[in-house]
Amino acid sequence: MTLFRSMAIRMALVYILLICGFGYVVQALYGVQIARHGELFEKAQNTYTTRIKTHGVRGEIYDFGGSLLVGNMPTMDIIGDPANILILNKKDEEEADRECRMIADFFAEKCGNVNADEVYRRLTRRTITTTNADGDKVEHDCHYAVIATGIEYNAAKTLKDEVKELAFHGVSFTSSYRRNYPKDTMLANILGLTNFDADKFIPVQGIERTLDEAMTATSGSMVYERARNGSSVSFANSKSEPTLDGYDIYLTIREPLQAIVEEELDLMCERVKPHAAWAVLVDPTTGDVLAAAQRPTFNPNDRGTMNSESSKNRLSELALEPGSIMKPFVISYALDRGFVTPGTIVDCEQGVWKYAGRLLHDTHNVGKVPVTEIIKQSSNIGTAKVSVMMGQKNLDTALRSFGFGQKTGIQLRPETSGIFRPLEKWDSLSVSRFCIGQGIAVSPLQLARAYCMIANGGYKVNLRLVDRIERGNDVRVMPVIKEKTSIFANPETTKKMITEMMIGVTEAGGTCTEAAIEGFHVAGKTGTAQKVINGAYSNRYYASFVGFVPAEAPKFVLLVTCDDPTVGSRYGGSASGPTFKAIAERTLKYLHVQPQLSREEWLAERSAAQKALHERKVREDAIVQARREERDRQLKAEKTKETAKRTTTATATASTATSTSANRPRTVSASAAAAARSTLVRR
Amino acid sequence: MNQFTKKTSPSGDGVETGRQNTPWIAGLIFKMALMMIIIFAAFFARVHLNDKTEQLAREKTLITRQIQERQTEIQSLRIQIANLRRWENINSKIREYNLALRSANPSQLRYMKRFDARVETSSPFGGDTRVADTSTGIPSSESGTIH
Repeated sequence: MTLFRSMAIRMALVYILLICGFGYVVQALYGVQIARHGELFEKAQNTYTTRIKTHGVRGEIYDFGGSLLVGNMPTMDIIGDPANILILNKKDEEEADRECRMIADFFAEKCGNVNADEVYRRLTRRTITTTNADGDKVEHDCHYAVIATGIEYNAAKTLKDEVKELAFHGVSFTSSYRRNYPKDTMLANILGLTNFDADKFIPVQGIERTLDEAMTATSGSMVYERARNGSSVSFANSKSEPTLDGYDIYLTIREPLQAIVEEELDLMCERVKPHAAWAVLVDPTTGDVLAAAQRPTFNPNDRGTMNSESSKNRLSELALEPGSIMKPFVISYALDRGFVTPGTIVDCEQGVWKYAGRLLHDTHNVGKVPVTEIIKQSSNIGTAKVSVMMGQKNLDTALRSFGFGQKTGIQLRPETSGIFRPLEKWDSLSVSRFCIGQGIAVSPLQLARAYCMIANGGYKVNLRLVDRIERGNDVRVMPVIKEKTSIFANPETTKKMITEMMIGVTEAGGTCTEAAIEGFHVAGKTGTAQKVINGAYSNRYYASFVGFVPAEAPKFVLLVTCDDPTVGSRYGGSASGPTFKAIAERTLKYLHVQPQLSREEWLAERSAAQKALHERKVREDAIVQARREERDRQLKAEKTKETAKRTTTATATASTATSTSANRPRTVSASAAAAARSTLVRR
Repeated sequence: MNQFTKKTSPSGDGVETGRQNTPWIAGLIFKMALMMIIIFAAFFARVHLNDKTEQLAREKTLITRQIQERQTEIQSLRIQIANLRRWENINSKIREYNLALRSANPSQLRYMKRFDARVETSSPFGGDTRVADTSTGIPSSESGTIH
């Protein structure tokens, strides 16, 4: 019985112990599986889950035909792991330091811009101190030290192999890319540039800045469970958000034409040594900017070439007084609205005219000439008189309808809208000055657009620099924005009249015969504008030539400007005209534009114009000679008459004096001498 | 006693021996073994497939990495090509090799008429109705228009 009771107690104890044990296990399991599930699950997940942020690629920039202008160049960054170097050297600091020195010397030798001492310093800094949220300083192992960045891909691959061979510890190569401008200085001021900060691009200027939003890639992410070797476990959960590359930009620029313009602009800079120069080539039908070059410029791949002058985008940011290249706008409007006809005679006052109390000069004396000759000879007085005839309101309407005072719509920021006072702020002199490009400031792009309007019959068109943006199959074409109604009441007639006048500029007797191109009629206009420095006109000039070819069916409008030519002539015709010709000639060949005239026809036309000019000059000289002779004759007759009159008076006085000479001999002789002296002086 | 109804042991003493149960146990063991084999086969098949999947995934990763490398190389080459296609480079080569390349003068250019066969129709009277731009002799696509 005792035995039985003892057994029962023991059994009960065992049961109790088992139940307690089971209870403890249940409680522990509850704690692990239920109470701390979230925390522990996350902890576990973190050890076998990898989260990666993926980056898309920034959009590239191409010319119209797909030639790369701005690309993404693959590079590699070389990173060291100081803490790991120590661990892999079995925590032997001396050994680790020796390896760090070897690594630093190796990369300093292989990569030009690496400072061995600096790299050694970074690699031997094995701990870093950070401040946590509580403000306490915490020391961590350092696993990141930059050895070199932006190493060109192929060079980095070679280095990688060498590092593998040398068995350096704790050196890794990470892929990245840099913005590259394979054409160096070509179109640099328009394309702009970016800076690279951490893992993103910071646009600085140009297209890179204007279209940054479209070109920026969207980052994505990838979350996956990894195996021991770091690869993703295929049957486990994974999640990914796709990255989106940025849009590629296709400009309206044609690279071959751009190369031509850049080359000729360089030659012009060598020839006239200006402070700055620019040229812009535009399709007058669509407003497409085909080429746009400026000097000084810079190489975006070499930031050392950048300064405030070379990085300026003068085409859209500069507002300058255009000078005589404004004249065709006023004359064309006056012709269109019937204020004048090409044959209307205007008295150009032989080079000097006073209006509103101020004198206006021409660079050469022009007399009474038809309106056609005003453009051909670039008469300030003639244009001012036509402008005065139109009145302030019409002049304001004319210039505004050509787009002055407004932006051109080009995809470039910043863009100036120029300086063009509202009508109510004009003074009495404005009407005679704005028409000759004084007192008004315009940008080169505004001028190019205004000439497009003359070339296309008065249809206002926005300038286009971006043709389309593309991302895979997603293609967005930028529309051509062109007004459907012409600013001219009679587009065809007005265009024909003003074009004929502008053709005269490049013919014999015009201000820029240097711009004539064999086989073509070239319509153009010269401009020589004084630069305004500190609010006053200076002795420095903007020498411009703008025109379109072929005159009757223009394929392009070309503006060439020289800012302050220091060698040779300062006039637009001499400084910019030859460059206009060179660019236009090569562009016509590139575009396969058939000559309008054969060589013989063209030469015959030129010699006929020369002959006509010669005959006109002979005629004018004869008229001037006849007038001069007539004037001389009249003067001579007047003088003879006066001399005779004086002689008669003197004789009469002398006879009177003789009769009284006995009383006053000295006085008479003195007055006779005075009369004779006065006659001499007058002669 | 009917000898045909009496169940007798082979030894004839009427007592059942272990040998009498052998087929029953063997059958059970066989069935269990078969089941085990099937389970193990399924298990190993699954393990093998997982291994295979992992192996393929590794290969895929490797190939993806190689493709990425090739793409990077292609990108690098594209930049190099764009660089070499700069007019300055081409021009310097023309000078270096003294190539007598120059563009034609306008007077040297001649344009040929080209008829578009698609608009050619045969007249029942044998008349020629071909269409061409007779003013320039150039079809619009070749007349130097930019677009």
